[in-house]
Amino acid sequence: MNPNDEVIAGARDRALERIAAAAVEADLEAVRVEVLGRKGLLAGVSKDFGKMAPEERARMGKLLNAVKQEVETALESRKAAFASAALAARLDSEWLDLTLPAPPPRRGSLHPVTLIQTEIEDLFISMGFTVLDGPEVETEEHNFDALNIPGDHPARDAQDTFWLTDGNLLRTHTSPVQVRGMRKLGPPLRMIAPGRVFRNEEVDASHEHTFYQLEGMMVDRDVSVAHLIFFMKTLLTSIFRREVTVRLRPGYFPFVEPGFELDIQCLICGGPGCPVCKQSGWVELLPCGLVNPNVLRMSGIDPEQWNGFAFGLGLTRLAMMRYAIDDIRLLLGGDLRFLNQF
Amino acid sequence: MKFSYNWLCELVDGLAADPVKLGQLITMKTAECDGVETFAPWLARVAAAKVLSAEPIEGSHNRKAVVDAGRYGRRTVVCGAPNCRAGMVTAYVPPGTELGSMTIGKRVVDGVESDGMLASGYELGVNRDHSGILELAGDVFEPGPDAVIEIDNKSLTHRPDLWGHHGMAREAAAIAGAKLKEPARLSRIPAGAAPVKVEIEDYTLCPRYSALVFENVTVRPSPLWLQCRLEAVGLNSINNIVDVTNFVMAELAQPMHAFDADKLRGDTIFARPARSGERILALNGETYDLTPSNTVIADAGGPIAIAGVIGGGESAISEITTRIVLESANFMASNVRRTSSALKLRTDASMRFEKAQDPANTLRGLARAIELLEQVSPGIRLVGGLADAWRPKPAPQPITLPLEWLYRKLGRAVEKDEVRRILESIEFGVAEPEPGVFLVTVPSWRSTKDIAIKDDLVEEVGRMIGYGSITPRPPMVAATVPPTNEERRYHRRVRELMTDEGFTEVYNYSFVSDETAEKFGHADLVRVSNPIAVGQNLLRKSLIPGVWKNVLDNARHFDSFRLFEIGQEIHKRAEGLPEETAHLAAAVYAKAGDGREGLFELKRVAQCLASTIEVEAGEALAYEHPARTGRLKIGGETVGRLFEFHPSFVETGRAAVLDIDLGALERLLPRMQKYTQIRRLPASAFDLSVITELRRPVGWIERQLTTLGGVDLLAIEFLREYAGAPLAEGTKSVSFRLTVGAADRTLSSDEVGVIRARIIDGMRGWNYELRV
Ligand SMILES: [Zn+2]
Repeated sequence: MNPNDEVIAGARDRALERIAAAAVEADLEAVRVEVLGRKGLLAGVSKDFGKMAPEERARMGKLLNAVKQEVETALESRKAAFASAALAARLDSEWLDLTLPAPPPRRGSLHPVTLIQTEIEDLFISMGFTVLDGPEVETEEHNFDALNIPGDHPARDAQDTFWLTDGNLLRTHTSPVQVRGMRKLGPPLRMIAPGRVFRNEEVDASHEHTFYQLEGMMVDRDVSVAHLIFFMKTLLTSIFRREVTVRLRPGYFPFVEPGFELDIQCLICGGPGCPVCKQSGWVELLPCGLVNPNVLRMSGIDPEQWNGFAFGLGLTRLAMMRYAIDDIRLLLGGDLRFLNQF
Repeated sequence: MKFSYNWLCELVDGLAADPVKLGQLITMKTAECDGVETFAPWLARVAAAKVLSAEPIEGSHNRKAVVDAGRYGRRTVVCGAPNCRAGMVTAYVPPGTELGSMTIGKRVVDGVESDGMLASGYELGVNRDHSGILELAGDVFEPGPDAVIEIDNKSLTHRPDLWGHHGMAREAAAIAGAKLKEPARLSRIPAGAAPVKVEIEDYTLCPRYSALVFENVTVRPSPLWLQCRLEAVGLNSINNIVDVTNFVMAELAQPMHAFDADKLRGDTIFARPARSGERILALNGETYDLTPSNTVIADAGGPIAIAGVIGGGESAISEITTRIVLESANFMASNVRRTSSALKLRTDASMRFEKAQDPANTLRGLARAIELLEQVSPGIRLVGGLADAWRPKPAPQPITLPLEWLYRKLGRAVEKDEVRRILESIEFGVAEPEPGVFLVTVPSWRSTKDIAIKDDLVEEVGRMIGYGSITPRPPMVAATVPPTNEERRYHRRVRELMTDEGFTEVYNYSFVSDETAEKFGHADLVRVSNPIAVGQNLLRKSLIPGVWKNVLDNARHFDSFRLFEIGQEIHKRAEGLPEETAHLAAAVYAKAGDGREGLFELKRVAQCLASTIEVEAGEALAYEHPARTGRLKIGGETVGRLFEFHPSFVETGRAAVLDIDLGALERLLPRMQKYTQIRRLPASAFDLSVITELRRPVGWIERQLTTLGGVDLLAIEFLREYAGAPLAEGTKSVSFRLTVGAADRTLSSDEVGVIRARIIDGMRGWNYELRV
């Protein structure tokens, strides 16, 4: 019997015992050094190899390798156990209560008029309309005369005007952009013009001196009332996201002929009458009409060749309808308690 | 404008629609009806009552009256009216009648059971007399309930004819297919020489002046039916003569005026521009200074009326008047309107004349007035014949209406006979000189201003067939791509970025006050000449005052917030319209903290908008924190400002503000960006620390290093700044990492050393020490 047999068996037993007893991962490295290291328990056995007979040497080598292998495997598996325990402990320590409230949202909000304006712009752009701009300070010519409202016309009464000391005015409607559009682009033409307008009015819950309109105009060959109604129905169905019933009745605006008031069937009661529609079943929504030939002529368009329709949508009013805003003053009030809601 | 349903019914044979239905039909076909109100429904229950006895009640000012109340029989009532006496005929209201807001009951007054009441005209709503109970002339109580159809004046702007009941009756008759009656009989106009002469100086200002003279006039209160009719349409009863003129105006839209003939000087009436310095005491008791832009009616002694607006006080009729001159004239619409607005005097007459009334109407007015005056002033006599000065105007050209064209405009076809029937129902003349083409003659009352071209006829036909009969149809048009509005598209991108960064959009007013403008040092603002309130007389040339108000207002509710506005700055120009520039203004407010975070957050936002934006230190404006302000620049161009509000503007907390000219920004943004090849050769990096004075801007040092680095410098990155030991007092060390390389090869360490030395030497040349 080779005394090394005993050394090997002893080293193996000791190693396996200590591996099993290891409390921390560092203990395993100590075992490795003590048993498998260059000065470890098994190192002496290899030194004796030279003195051994070849057969014995082969047997011893095999045995030594098997034991080394066994110890390595035990070390590795124990190491893996430590790692997985450590991971489990870490994961456990990272427990989070996800029912805690999230930090307040950082996303800001767009103004309700911006929201509705963007929607309508996109709709009309998709139907081949261009979006035009005009200045807030306008000439009397653009705001009135070129729209067939000369200086002594009684229709000027309907539009209380802020006049400026330089003789210009704050536009009372977005209609002057019609004039600018016709003069700039010429026929055929499809345009809308959203923007800020001004009326010299006392402010209360339903009246503002500053509000938003969206003007629309199409000039082409043989534009008809049927086309106008088509666009108005498309517009309103898109805004209200449902089929709306509209009616046209005579309305007088000097820049259109014939002129209409477009009413929609009350969305609240659907027709029988309620406080919102003042019991009439209809809500007046937008003035429109076929462009008066004088207006075309004044902007250099031959009314025998071209004609068109125009409409003026109250964006402020629509925003109020859409979001059930009952006080118009909120819109330009700058109160974030209101504006943060959109 | 108020329309009496009874009145309309008298003018239309066979009008079947009830008042509410009629109001709806008018809305759909003619003009907007604002509502229908019943007028004095209680009148149906009122009866004439003869007072049989009126005994005083002891200890009371009331009387116990026994009346014979016709269909109600004999009744006893307590009456407090001073004129209650036996033998008079008055109005009796039985118990159970709802009179306005009260219900008449049977109740005991002064120990007497009062079975109903005797009423004044005021209580009954038939006139405004509350001095005593009604005194009826006959033994019948004539007035009955009515309904008042209120039409929005705005929708009558273009329709001179609808300023009288007869015009609206014509519409009602056409809508209902009923027959219109003509209340005026022109045959009543007397022939013979006129007792007054009329001289018109300018027929443009006064196209027609017609007048009649009456004698043996009795001026007294109107009969009850007339008072009641005027009351129903909102006109005040004055006396029988004035009431007739108002009645004719309300019926035929022809304003009239009665002068006391004995108070006129001379026998000629002039219609002429006022002379400079002329004044007139008007019927309303006010005195008006006139200018030649006003037209007046005058006699030899001066103005006796402001043409088309108001009569004069001195020639007004009174109880002692026995002879009158009745004027029925026509005046130029725009001149009446200008005079009326210049004098700030809108009257029932001026409202009508400014809509361009029909000169042919003056005679109808007179004819109608003759018959009415005979009713209300028994014994009245015409003196001589008609005075009538006018120049016939060329008749309006008939309008050629090709039916195919009409159908194309409407978007549907209409039976030819139907088109004819519609036009004829509103008294247009229709001929068909060639098949499919109508030649349409416009009646005089529609041709003053309203109808002149074929497009006007589209409306006449369209409204009568009903626009609901037109099927909506998309147009067949070329599928062209509309021009893009780059500016709006850019604003939309900015809005999205701002909301993504947590900012809430606000809209502020375009107005600022003098006080605010001064506070912000904004001079030379565009000024409103008729501001609605003292604080709103200037137009903003900056969004900052608005944002400042937003900050103060919201700081009362929030500890921190972010907001922005995109709006127009309005800058005065030497001539032409002001310059309007779109700006973005954003604010970050925090009640706590030292304010650094807000400023750097806004700087980051600015750099998100344009990566090339740089901040350059600059002079502070009045409202800016003097040590926390900078100009935003792209290239050499200033595009905005970044600052903190001066603590005197925001006392609690701190507000950082960004103000950017979006027009300039959009212009300076790189357009189509070319791709830069990804560098594959390794580059070399080294760190440098520059010792500088404490307030030397880091951006300035970075620029120096960048310049010195030249083409070799690929990137420069700020690492940190440090002040304190062992550095000398008043200095700091600023560290950068510089990355250098060549485009075509890897630099050797010697080459890198040369570049580094060059930069260090350069800085030393500027007297900046480096810690290496
Ligand atoms: Zn309703």
